[in-house]
Amino acid sequence: MRGNHLGEFEELVLLTVGVLFDDAYAVAITNEIGKQSGRSVAVSAVHKSLYRLEEKGMLSSRLSDPESKRGGKRKRLFNITPYGKKALDQSMDLRSSLRNQIPDLAFNWK
Amino acid sequence: MKKKDSIPRIPHAFFKWYCKSNRYEEISGDLEEFFYDRLEHMSPVKARLLYVRDVIRCCQPYAWKRKGYSNSTIIMFKNYFKTSLRSMIRNPLSSFINIFGLSVAIGMTLVVYTMIEFSSSLDKYHENAHEVFLTTFYADRDGKEAQYGTTPLPMAEMLKNDFSQIEKVARVQDFSVIVKREDDVFHERVRAIDPTFLEMLTFPLKWGTPSSLADINSIVLSSEMAIKYFGYDNPVGQELLVKFSDEKKKIFSVVGVAEEFPNTHAISFDFLINFENLKFVQPDYHPLDWNNFISATLIQVSNPSDIEIIKSQTNKYKKLQNEMENDWKIIGFNFHDLYSLHENSSQIVNDISRDQAKEVFIGLPVMGAFMLALACFNYINMAIGSATKRLKEIGVRKVIGANRSKVIVQFLAENLLMTFFATLMGLFLTITVFLPWFTSIADAPLEISLININMWIYLITILIFTGVVSGIYPALYVSKFRVVHIFRGAVKFGKRNPIMKAFLCLQMILAFVFITMAVMFNENSNYQAQREWGYNQHGALYLELPEKAAFDQFKGLMDQNPNIISVSGARDHVGKTISETMVHINDNAYTVQQLSVASNYFTTLEIDFSQGSSFTDRSTNNKTAIVNETFLKNTQLQDPIGAIFKLDSTQYQIIGVVNDFHAFNFYNKIDPIVFLVSEKEDYRFISMRVRAGSEMDVYEDLKGYWADLYPETPFQGGQQIDLWAKFYADLGQMKRFTRTIASVAILLAALGLYGLVTLNVSGRIKEFSIRKVLGAGLKNLTSSVTRQYIVLTVVAFVIGAPLAYMLNLGLVEMMFAYPLPAGYWGVGIAFVILVIVMLGVFSTQVRRVFVYNPAQGLRSE
Repeated sequence: MRGNHLGEFEELVLLTVGVLFDDAYAVAITNEIGKQSGRSVAVSAVHKSLYRLEEKGMLSSRLSDPESKRGGKRKRLFNITPYGKKALDQSMDLRSSLRNQIPDLAFNWK
Repeated sequence: MKKKDSIPRIPHAFFKWYCKSNRYEEISGDLEEFFYDRLEHMSPVKARLLYVRDVIRCCQPYAWKRKGYSNSTIIMFKNYFKTSLRSMIRNPLSSFINIFGLSVAIGMTLVVYTMIEFSSSLDKYHENAHEVFLTTFYADRDGKEAQYGTTPLPMAEMLKNDFSQIEKVARVQDFSVIVKREDDVFHERVRAIDPTFLEMLTFPLKWGTPSSLADINSIVLSSEMAIKYFGYDNPVGQELLVKFSDEKKKIFSVVGVAEEFPNTHAISFDFLINFENLKFVQPDYHPLDWNNFISATLIQVSNPSDIEIIKSQTNKYKKLQNEMENDWKIIGFNFHDLYSLHENSSQIVNDISRDQAKEVFIGLPVMGAFMLALACFNYINMAIGSATKRLKEIGVRKVIGANRSKVIVQFLAENLLMTFFATLMGLFLTITVFLPWFTSIADAPLEISLININMWIYLITILIFTGVVSGIYPALYVSKFRVVHIFRGAVKFGKRNPIMKAFLCLQMILAFVFITMAVMFNENSNYQAQREWGYNQHGALYLELPEKAAFDQFKGLMDQNPNIISVSGARDHVGKTISETMVHINDNAYTVQQLSVASNYFTTLEIDFSQGSSFTDRSTNNKTAIVNETFLKNTQLQDPIGAIFKLDSTQYQIIGVVNDFHAFNFYNKIDPIVFLVSEKEDYRFISMRVRAGSEMDVYEDLKGYWADLYPETPFQGGQQIDLWAKFYADLGQMKRFTRTIASVAILLAALGLYGLVTLNVSGRIKEFSIRKVLGAGLKNLTSSVTRQYIVLTVVAFVIGAPLAYMLNLGLVEMMFAYPLPAGYWGVGIAFVILVIVMLGVFSTQVRRVFVYNPAQGLRSE
């Protein structure tokens, strides 16, 4: 359980990495999460999640070519690994299965 | 403008400093990208601020550098730790001795610390401690000037009226009373005070208000007393009956209970009542009575420096006092602030603060320092000795690339580790053994609080100090060797090392001092224990009478008891209460102790007469008196029988002289004593002589009589010998303590010597081999092993003997009023013990050399 457990923010980062396929690096992810969820995210939090997910084996990474926009520095691009996909699926399944188990009565507030 | 568009330099430098190199590029790129993005739609200032925020936020473990050098250093220290532990385990005895010696020493220093801290924090918690002063006076009595803590009654009032600087005045007078509530009856001490007392000394109240003491019928209890009489409930509004004497009883209503006093109090109270009660209690009370000395007068000034002005103007009181009262010629007045009162308390007679235990405060630090020195010297010798076994290790370390400073660090670290263990053990020893001991000796509630920061700072200071002081020399010494010499086996080790010898010599001197101390203490304690009291304390019992009529009732019952041989009454009783008074002989005044007794008191207690005889039964009106030998010595009366002295303006004639006896324990000197005849109505004590062996039975009988006659008064009585029980217990405890210290000192010295001799012999093994081959016998070998140490011993003895003698004589004389007549026994015994220990140590090494095969010593190399 411990190994593939995903925190809420980690899950968000993992999903975003998928969304930004092949151009997922910290700045882009931060901006994307900000745009899609409307909440302001610190880049350090994204860094932390990315490195941790990489340690867990859910992300792989490589360095890009140098870019002038960043003062000639390379960026680290992330991709989802099969294990990452599995963890994502499991988490989604758990959520939808739980959601489906809620009886309609629970939503009947009248 | 350009500058504002670029990355802020200092935050970037900070970032670069903390960020690890393999992530630096990507993270700094990210931050930079954000910065340039923001520049496009924000002011540069804001962008720069946000950049700073990002840098700070990124300062998290994922970005941190691992310290570059940390790995190897940590590994090195781990290795040191391991080798230290191993070498400790390999020589369990010597490391135990080292650690134990150090821990005893550290424990002692901790006790010293606790005492000093305790004593210096006494009574400092009062808010006005700097502004409140105790009034004292100097008086010349028996040619000795002394300072007294009591004050004439009118002083307080006059001080207050005469000086505008004085804000508040509080008078204090103590009474011994009986306090009764329902069936609970106890003897207590009540403190009569002006209500300002509680404003000047800030004892917070748990219940009630201090101002309600203004009512003359109110009483305030300490927390302890409240629990004793009323349990844990709020007693405010309840009533207590206070019996000041047989006729003077009064009901007080409880108006307040104090919070529990802090441990660090010297001044406290059990019960507080209004001072005006004096009018009720003292029949001859008069507010202008300069003869009436009250327990204390406290004043509070707004500005502490004003006290000098007040002091300079106290001459008129002196004049007033000396006109009124001729016995007490006052020399001058003085004031002590509460803050420092306790420190000065031992110089003030009869003050309300508690005296410092002088002996303990001087003796202990000296002993602690000596022990620490002894343990350090010992460690130094042992460490150098054991380093012989580790020469190879040091050589290998050096070959691998450790420079001298690395080896020094290693040895120091090792030593600190050991000292650390010793400190832990010392702390443990202090809490479990030393403090309980010293608490009973010093009579102060000493305790270590483990959350006291100062204590930890002190402990760590001691740890580092001891560790470095004891470790630095061995470390320097051992690290000096050349690798080549080590491996070639050419290290000349321990052959001639004057410093080590000096250490050993010091160690022996200290051991000498400690052994002498133990012996002298032992002798003295035995001497004190066997010392005669001056009367027959065995088989004597006493009762404190609850009221006047009690004497006849008890006597009636006692006369029927076959075990009781004789019974006599008295107003005062030896070992319990004696009152101080003044006598005049030919215009000279002397302070004496006064006892008023029945005529057969002397036969009952078996106090012997050296001249004259006891009172005759009908001598009550004859104004006769009996004195002791010390009285004669002090007054220099040549022909005492028939001599006349004046006491309270009455003339008394001396009809007898008794031998000196100890009215109180042997810490106190024998005072001059005057016996007068006591009227039967004044009897407060019954003393009795019982048949030998029946003491316990009679004691039980007495309790039975008491319970029948006075069920409402607590039993007050006991065996005469029990009056000194605590004194003898103290003696035993000190005996045990000094013995332990001396044993540790002997052990340490013996081991230091052993280490040094072994080292020396090992270094000279070739020499001994050659000697043996050439035909040296036991005698020759012995002399060549021991020669240099004999010189050392002689030196240690020559220095140590007078030192030990003086120090311990001083200590013993400080403690006991009648020490064992000075003799050289202690020093002699200490010398013999030391010599025996040394012979034991030498014999092991001489034996080793004697059975050694010389071929082996000559074969190597």
